[in-house]
Amino acid sequence: MTNLLERLTAWWHAYNVYVALVLVAVGLYLLLPRRRSWGRAAGAVTSVIGMGLLAARSPAFAGFFQQGVFWSLAAVTISAAAATVTFRNPVYCAIWFALALLGTAALFFYQGAQFLGVATVVVYAGAILVTFLFVLMLANPKGQAYYDRISWEAWLAAPAAAVLLGVMTVALARGLPAIDPAVPAGSPDFPVPAVSVARAMSQPRVEEILATDHMAHLGGQLFSRYLLAIEIAGTLLLVALVGAVAIVVHEQRSRATVDAAHPTAGHALTPAALAAGRTQHDSQFAGAGANIHE
Amino acid sequence: MNEISLLQNYLFVGAVLFALGMAGFICRRNMIVMFLCAEMMLQGVSLSLVAWGRFYNDWGGQIMTIFILTVAACEAALALALVMMLFRSSGKLDILVWQYDREENQAPIVDRELPEEPVSDRTHWPELVPAGIEPDQTKLEVRYRRRI
Repeated sequence: MTNLLERLTAWWHAYNVYVALVLVAVGLYLLLPRRRSWGRAAGAVTSVIGMGLLAARSPAFAGFFQQGVFWSLAAVTISAAAATVTFRNPVYCAIWFALALLGTAALFFYQGAQFLGVATVVVYAGAILVTFLFVLMLANPKGQAYYDRISWEAWLAAPAAAVLLGVMTVALARGLPAIDPAVPAGSPDFPVPAVSVARAMSQPRVEEILATDHMAHLGGQLFSRYLLAIEIAGTLLLVALVGAVAIVVHEQRSRATVDAAHPTAGHALTPAALAAGRTQHDSQFAGAGANIHE
Repeated sequence: MNEISLLQNYLFVGAVLFALGMAGFICRRNMIVMFLCAEMMLQGVSLSLVAWGRFYNDWGGQIMTIFILTVAACEAALALALVMMLFRSSGKLDILVWQYDREENQAPIVDRELPEEPVSDRTHWPELVPAGIEPDQTKLEVRYRRRI
């Protein structure tokens, strides 16, 4: 077993550049316009993975090899997120958002957060399905709606996003290299809570957060140290449930009053409104019956 | 990849997701897409939290992400109920329909010219041809069918 694994590893070290090239070629072939239009997204993913593997081998990215997987996942996630924001058709937006979620879940796995990876997929799969149903239900049947074709103040939103990204990235570049165990904690160069950071950097990693009994640790923490937060989260779920019901019921009640005033204007949904509407309705139809069959 | 560059990369990806989601939330006008963008911002924050948790070897990051999942579920329920209600009363998913809710001294946003729908994006739906004879319907059925 170990022998096989070693041989596989050796094979991979010897030939991964060819694998990467084949992936790039296949991806490019799938991307190029052909008679059939399927498989373009798969082609993009494949070529991105291949490019990531290639980039991992390049000497310009020293120490980059282990990051190849990460950068491939990151590229998939980020490009899917960009597609979510930019596509015109909301159905495509939902599908691309699902891909971005899968990328995020894979990034969670890469960090060793197994439960979160699975939970993201499971929870958001349901959410995406519901959103998808909403899109299909509410979509404009006659082509795209006009509001999908124009953006609202895009010339302000794009620079705002760029500035936000720049601020966060510069903060990263300035702040994180300063986290250096050599710098003594509390020095004016590094007034941040340096003690714990320095400890995290200097100690050999206690393999607790990557432990094999991940779920046991996570559940233990969740139901001991964060017990109060769990209760609050449960209350929040209940409040949100009641709120959602209240929104819908309020709307139906307002519609019901409209229906009672004009019985033919819309759909009477509650039984009371149905009954109230029907009596009026019948008395109206006694006189206006001729119009009904037009 | 050592721990600090792992943290840095994850924070970068999280920042990109957050910024993209923010841009989309600001400039997209379809309410459902706005909802997706808000979820994307939450994803960016989750990635950063998990990365910090790994860096400090602390479970707090992952547990806060679980709470983010909870809040996202609540948000989805409320947002979709609201979208449903707003759609029913205006017939559109356009958020600009509700711009009378803006602040008092703000000028309204008026769409001047709408771009043409590109021909490549146009969908041609099949049309069903009516076939056969029309079935007999009672008067009562016809009267109430119109309301259903």
